[in-house]
Amino acid sequence: MLSYIRNDKYDAAHFDNEWVILNTDKFTVTKINEIGGFCWSLLEQSQTVDTLAQAIRKEYEVMDDTLEEDLHNFLSDLLKFNLIDHAN
Amino acid sequence: MDKLHAKIGEHFIQVTSNPLSFATTLLEENHFLIPNHDALPHIIIHVEEGYGVAFVDYNVVVTNKQNKRYFHRADYLIETDEKYKTATIYAHDQLALKHALMNLYSSYIVSHKWGLLIHSSCVIENEKAHIFAGASGAGKSTAAKLSHPRLLLSDEATLVKVTHEEITVFDSPFRSELKSPGISKSYSLGSMHILHQALINTRVQLKQSNGFYFLLDKVFYWAHDPDETKNIVKLLESLLHNVPVYNLHFQKNNTFWELIS
Repeated sequence: MLSYIRNDKYDAAHFDNEWVILNTDKFTVTKINEIGGFCWSLLEQSQTVDTLAQAIRKEYEVMDDTLEEDLHNFLSDLLKFNLIDHAN
Repeated sequence: MDKLHAKIGEHFIQVTSNPLSFATTLLEENHFLIPNHDALPHIIIHVEEGYGVAFVDYNVVVTNKQNKRYFHRADYLIETDEKYKTATIYAHDQLALKHALMNLYSSYIVSHKWGLLIHSSCVIENEKAHIFAGASGAGKSTAAKLSHPRLLLSDEATLVKVTHEEITVFDSPFRSELKSPGISKSYSLGSMHILHQALINTRVQLKQSNGFYFLLDKVFYWAHDPDETKNIVKLLESLLHNVPVYNLHFQKNNTFWELIS
């Protein structure tokens, strides 16, 4: 299974329940919600869709069947904006 | 060579210039020159008149070579160390010199995590500073003029000191039309406004994250060093945690102050 990790060319600011992530290389800004920010904090170390889904279900008691699909889309977006890389 | 001494924000600046009058004008007309003193300067600058051509555009090219950093625009060149403590500025004219000094000083305060130079005007009301920013032509200068007789801390580039506890604004020497009378005191920042000219006055607070989007584009900064960009993110984060940002739709008169005061 694919695993992902943060690109080191970023910095993040935390406001209320949102995170703003700046790619300091490309100078792009990405805003993510609280659960996205939770994932972002976990991505400091290598993660897969499954490890992230497991952590979210434990932290937020989410029972949504589409969580894995949502995570896949979320990680695709982070990849597109160069905020994460493949870890393997 | 004769030395000029200036104080900008909390920083002592020592300036030599060839000719001396070239660097004197900008600092003297805004009352930023101070008497000779023994304190160690934070920044030492030498200025040379005569470089390049008159203003072409705002495009600045940044290069690094042998522990030196160079900021190159058609009408100025800055050669500085990587901490911006010692610099030589070559400038075509007074406009080029002003922009070069803004470039250098903004880089210094970001690098030393002291604060930010923000493209905006800033007005004092009831011992508090209030910032007005916006897209080009939105009304920064208009809002500043309509605020008369309130004192202005800036009409072009606002000098903001950022700490975790408090945000303060200092008088800015980087003026456009409205010269400084020489304001030695700093003021706590009460609010920031994004201007939109309108038929009625309204003021709506922005989410901090949206304020971040907006302000990131208003900081005088030339992206060249990821570490300095990270400093800006942290400074803006502290700024937005301490001070509210509003969308201000304002009529072209002074009644918008009723929403702020």
